[in-house]
Amino acid sequence: MSRVPSRQGDAPGSGSVRPAVTSGDVGPQADVASAELEPAPDLTAAPEAGVAAVPPELIAQTLGEYVRAYVARITAGESGVLPVIVAMAAIMIVFQAISPNHVYLSPVNVVNLFQQSAVFMVLAMAVGFALILGEIDLSVGFVGALGAAITVQLVQPLNTNWPWWAGIAAGLFACTVFGVIQGTLVTRLRLPSFIVTLGGYLIANGLFLMVLLIGPFSGFPSLAGFSNNLQVIYNLMWGNFDPTTSWIAAAVVVVALDGYIWLGDARRRKSGLVAPPVGVTVIKMLLIAVVAVIVVSICNANRANRGVLEGVPYVIPIVLAVLGAWTMLLQSTKFGRYMYAIGGNPEAARRAGINVALVRTVGFALCSFTAGIAMLLYASLLGGMSNNLQGGQYVLYAVAAAVIGGTSLFGGRGKPLHGVLGGLVIGGIYNGMYLQGLPVQWEYVVTGLVLLAALTIDSLSRRGASSGSVTRA
Amino acid sequence: MLLLSALILMACGGGNGTTPGKKIALLLPDTPTALQTRAYFEDLVTQVCPNCQVLYNAATTDAEQQTQAASAISSGASVMVLDPVHGATASTIVAQAKAANIPVVSYDRMVLNTPNLSYFVSFDTGAAGGLMAGSLVTALGSKVKPTVVEINGDPADGNTKTFKDGALSAINGKFTPARQYDTPGGTAANAKAEMERALADLKFRIDGVLAANDKLAGGAIAAMKGNVRPWPPVTGQGADLAAIQRIVTGDQYMTLYMSSKAEAEAAAQIAYDLAFGITLPASMSGGKTVNNGNADVPSVLLTPVVVTKANVEATVVADGFWSADDICTTQFISACAEAGIA
Repeated sequence: MSRVPSRQGDAPGSGSVRPAVTSGDVGPQADVASAELEPAPDLTAAPEAGVAAVPPELIAQTLGEYVRAYVARITAGESGVLPVIVAMAAIMIVFQAISPNHVYLSPVNVVNLFQQSAVFMVLAMAVGFALILGEIDLSVGFVGALGAAITVQLVQPLNTNWPWWAGIAAGLFACTVFGVIQGTLVTRLRLPSFIVTLGGYLIANGLFLMVLLIGPFSGFPSLAGFSNNLQVIYNLMWGNFDPTTSWIAAAVVVVALDGYIWLGDARRRKSGLVAPPVGVTVIKMLLIAVVAVIVVSICNANRANRGVLEGVPYVIPIVLAVLGAWTMLLQSTKFGRYMYAIGGNPEAARRAGINVALVRTVGFALCSFTAGIAMLLYASLLGGMSNNLQGGQYVLYAVAAAVIGGTSLFGGRGKPLHGVLGGLVIGGIYNGMYLQGLPVQWEYVVTGLVLLAALTIDSLSRRGASSGSVTRA
Repeated sequence: MLLLSALILMACGGGNGTTPGKKIALLLPDTPTALQTRAYFEDLVTQVCPNCQVLYNAATTDAEQQTQAASAISSGASVMVLDPVHGATASTIVAQAKAANIPVVSYDRMVLNTPNLSYFVSFDTGAAGGLMAGSLVTALGSKVKPTVVEINGDPADGNTKTFKDGALSAINGKFTPARQYDTPGGTAANAKAEMERALADLKFRIDGVLAANDKLAGGAIAAMKGNVRPWPPVTGQGADLAAIQRIVTGDQYMTLYMSSKAEAEAAAQIAYDLAFGITLPASMSGGKTVNNGNADVPSVLLTPVVVTKANVEATVVADGFWSADDICTTQFISACAEAGIA
């Protein structure tokens, strides 16, 4: 969570084992000295490590080379999303085997699992913005809840009766303002984000409870009712497309995504830029189509005991939209590059002329804004807002999800996709444990263990990676 | 209760133990009494349907309860008995169950603002005030113009008004309370302070205390202890352990016992009937309904039982609500023996 880049942070330690640095001189000068010596070990590093430092698409010309480069990257510690996919498969197998009557992978439960995971996924994408910057945001749970409570209150037909879109906009705006304030405190006053957002957590918790008490709802404004505005928000989580629409929509999404990938890679190849081999492009496109077909088939199965309940829930495209938007922002815009640059090494980013304070403040604002979306989904899931929200626990789940997905707690590394995959893992564990009928105490223990495991993997893979300072030790 | 037993017998006769198993979800808030409720509920389900399975879980927050409900639906529950952690947000759970065509019984507390509840099982709280005032009137006997102190709960608590209204109608002009207090926060300490004021005002002459629950009764009794003679009858509600012990020693005259056994068994029976599509007899609810803000829900409202020294053994001890060991700790052994509790 330290903003100080790890290389400099580790320098005094490595100085003590290296006779080259005068003993006893472990001050700022020593820091600078060893930081300037820094490139040397990289030059002498093993060739595989050098290969591993660059993404495979930059060096591979054929599918075979790509696979070899990918394997080299994994063995060097740059494992990407592989561990989380393995974890997901393991969770699916274990819970399918032990769940009563093997209902874990039944359509009704898989859709439950999606709905329950959605909050974790979006909240993990939110906290991902802070993590990429090498910061932490502990306030996401209650800041998001504050926004959601504002939204739910504003659309109540009994008093304000705002249209649903205005209510949502107001809630998300409140979250963004909160994020800007926290970001400003961190960047302009140079306060540690851990403490600033801990304060934000408490303040947001208090404001959230105050907002809930407004109006004649004894602290529990509900989304149940006949008002269209309530219904729209309720349906964010609980509404379904009908099966035919589901297929058509999925087809449109797959064609659009695949087209985007194909055209993007084709353009790079045409203009002679580095691009992944055609085989890799095709495999990516096929994977997207396969995932879409699986998801839609599961959702379109009838999930009711008696009667009919089928179709893709709205929440799936909502999560995908957030994922798509933030992936574009982080991977394809100048702002995104700046985020990673600052997370990797703020001092280098500053010297490169990036407006570090502005980008970081915007990062915190985006974090709180996305948290607002996450907790709006929570409100929809709950069918209202109530004061016994465990906002602190949700933060931990979100951080755990992001880290499990592959986002680094040490900054500069992470994607929105990590939050989604990690959220699915957390949601998968959560759902599986409830199916066992275990008391909630166990859920806390297991989630804590998973978080520690993910953190360990993050730390170990850094040690293996050539870009990490620990290679020198 | 007789009706219930008859239903159970009918069900057993028809089922012959060959009934196919169904799953009945029981979702409660995580309170100290949850496990006992579960035990009563499961006992009855096993009696009427040996192959049925109770999917039980308890939650501390509404979000947790929601997940538990979703898991129960996933696991193939045929019916859901739900004591909501929060009445307002639990309507979402009921909507989910409805989407999967699973009937829901609202247990003990009402799920608000939903048209989809099949039944509501609880106690007739409106009757509580009347029962307590009625038994105080009985205890006062023929005393003319008795001096009665009325100690109500927190004025912000919705039950306080229900209690006052019920009590007023049962008193029916037989006496006028000499002093009436609303107790801020409903705490025993405030009740004690109120009683101390009343004692000073009334010159330590008190013929009866109408306390709205056991906690308030405890406060009032502490204030009167050693100051008032002869000892007046004191009412209470809730069958708290301390209250039962005070009843055994004679400090408190009565309490109201909401038998969680009777309540759990009624819910289990209804759940069984709903799971197997058996039409519930109209006599089950007696045509009673309770409005939840959206619909009039057919309701089974059990009447609380008045517990005095005479029937402690036959009620709370027989049900296992409190065991004789719980009640008869060292200082109460002799009083227990007198009251015939063993």
